[in-house]
Amino acid sequence: MTENVQYIYSIQHGVALGYLIAWYLWLISLAEGTHIVAHLSWLYYRTEDYRPLEKVGTFQPFIILALVPLFLVVDLGHPERFYTMFYNWHWTSPVAYGVYIITLCMISYAIHSYYLFRPELIHRARQEGRLEGVYRLTVFNQVETGDIREIRKRQERRERLWAGVSLLFSFFGLIYLGILLSSFKGRVMWHSSVMVFIFFSFGACSGSAFLILLTHLKNALIHTPPKALAEQQRYLAEFGIILKYALVAQAGVFFVYFVLLQYTGIGGRLASQVFFTGPRAFQFWFFQVAIGLILPFVLMLYKKMRENVVVSCIAAVAAMVGTLFGCVNIFIGGQLLPMTSFRWEHLEPEPVKMTFGIITMVLMFVLFLVTYKILPYENIEVQEGMSS
Amino acid sequence: MKKTPEGIDRRLFFNKLASQVVGGAAGTLLIKTKILAAEPDTAVKKYGMVIDTNRCIACHGCTIACTSENNVPDGYYRSWVKIMNKGSYPNVSAHFLPRLCNNCEDAPCLNLCPTGATYRTHEDGVVHVDRQICVGCRICVAACPYGSRFVNPITHTADKCDFCYHRITRGLQPACVDACTGRARIFGDLSDPESDVSRYLENHSTQRLRADLDTRPKVHYVNADEYIMGPDYSRLLARRSS
Repeated sequence: MTENVQYIYSIQHGVALGYLIAWYLWLISLAEGTHIVAHLSWLYYRTEDYRPLEKVGTFQPFIILALVPLFLVVDLGHPERFYTMFYNWHWTSPVAYGVYIITLCMISYAIHSYYLFRPELIHRARQEGRLEGVYRLTVFNQVETGDIREIRKRQERRERLWAGVSLLFSFFGLIYLGILLSSFKGRVMWHSSVMVFIFFSFGACSGSAFLILLTHLKNALIHTPPKALAEQQRYLAEFGIILKYALVAQAGVFFVYFVLLQYTGIGGRLASQVFFTGPRAFQFWFFQVAIGLILPFVLMLYKKMRENVVVSCIAAVAAMVGTLFGCVNIFIGGQLLPMTSFRWEHLEPEPVKMTFGIITMVLMFVLFLVTYKILPYENIEVQEGMSS
Repeated sequence: MKKTPEGIDRRLFFNKLASQVVGGAAGTLLIKTKILAAEPDTAVKKYGMVIDTNRCIACHGCTIACTSENNVPDGYYRSWVKIMNKGSYPNVSAHFLPRLCNNCEDAPCLNLCPTGATYRTHEDGVVHVDRQICVGCRICVAACPYGSRFVNPITHTADKCDFCYHRITRGLQPACVDACTGRARIFGDLSDPESDVSRYLENHSTQRLRADLDTRPKVHYVNADEYIMGPDYSRLLARRSS
């Protein structure tokens, strides 16, 4: 359009869905990515030494999924009606499926975690101690006989069944996030099949980073026998490789996404401008690309750096910051494009909701730390072996 | 179900699960097919509107009438008029585009509503919001390509134009149509060939907003300028590149 056009009067509609929902999407991709990376790695390693990492990668995502629906509930106009979403079900809406997928995902994580921890919990319940009652409660007072290896052998099939179910729901969850955004056909930035792959790449990056970070945190907080620690460090260094390639995959997916946007008409070109020079440019170039992609990739490039605890923790935090900003940039940026007007839509600050979101995330972190102190993450056989 | 010493047999479990899922899906499909098949039979009327922009003088009478009739809160609009000037002096033209919900035949807001609070009446095709069911998730607000929806700050539920349903079901015209000074708005049953709106459609070339999205809006415009029809992305792109 080259005509001299002057807009006298128009209505600005604003950004309908704010930061809380963007964080909701990020936390779900983080939780599900963590579980997928942790469980697929178990299928690759299949050693007892790896089990503590699988516990971390199953129980911590459960905590996230148990608390993250609060973000959605608080953001509703009628929070007291949230439960009606379970029975007022509309079959054409992705959100209607998502409510069930996320709930079933959380339940499957809880059951999988239960079977992962159960042998050690039974062992602890049989021993006299301060938390003996708590451990008895967690195994529903069914204190089986036999040593840990035998208990694990007896429940192996159930454990693997629930591992498979939880893995399936994790994939469903990431697919749901992608389809959710791509179903908005009026939003040119979201209405792309690449959305599913973007969330898969976010899940792989943030998942491997989160697993690295949480396991290092666990090792810092609780005593881990030196042999087990050395094994876990080896696994974490290999997760560094996964993180490195996940970052490459994320960069590749975004490259394809931007190329496709160039072929989506003027709306698509403007959508890519939102990232490059538009209102999300600083968040994109600095947080998503420099901090979130380049920095962790460089830090994870060499073996010695991957083996260094501090360096790998910095890389993990940076990768998580990158995916967080990636999620926010797409979600908020997609709504900044005007629907009827000629100006960027504005985002009203929501300080109360944002404070709630931050407090909930802090609560999640505190819960991670508390569970490290209570739940038996380490293999007890290893501890017994060390003590003998 | 056969049980092994370790628990439930996995193969049996998956077989049972798969058969239940297939059964459930087939049942849902049958019910849905029945509902979909029944839809066209019950749709007797198809309410729609034609807006002749040549007749609009941008008096905002429709906006005021709508706000008054439907108790629309301050700062929110079910109906408004977009105004634009085009050209350079002395060749300048003014363009007005009255806006309202298009009550689309394939409404994105309706498709994405997770609870089914947004629904279409089968008798006349008007899209409504059930305030008793709406949870206020704002998915529909983000989904509407026309910016026709908002969350009402009083009811905390989604709100939009429903062609003044309380009036049209009593044989009256929507408030904006009654208030229109230039008689730019013609409302009626699009499926009735004898209605004013159908005749107007027959005799005029019309446009619809964002036809590329295939939402099949039921609000048609006569002689609307292409610059005012949609969002102006070229201005934002030009601003960035300059």
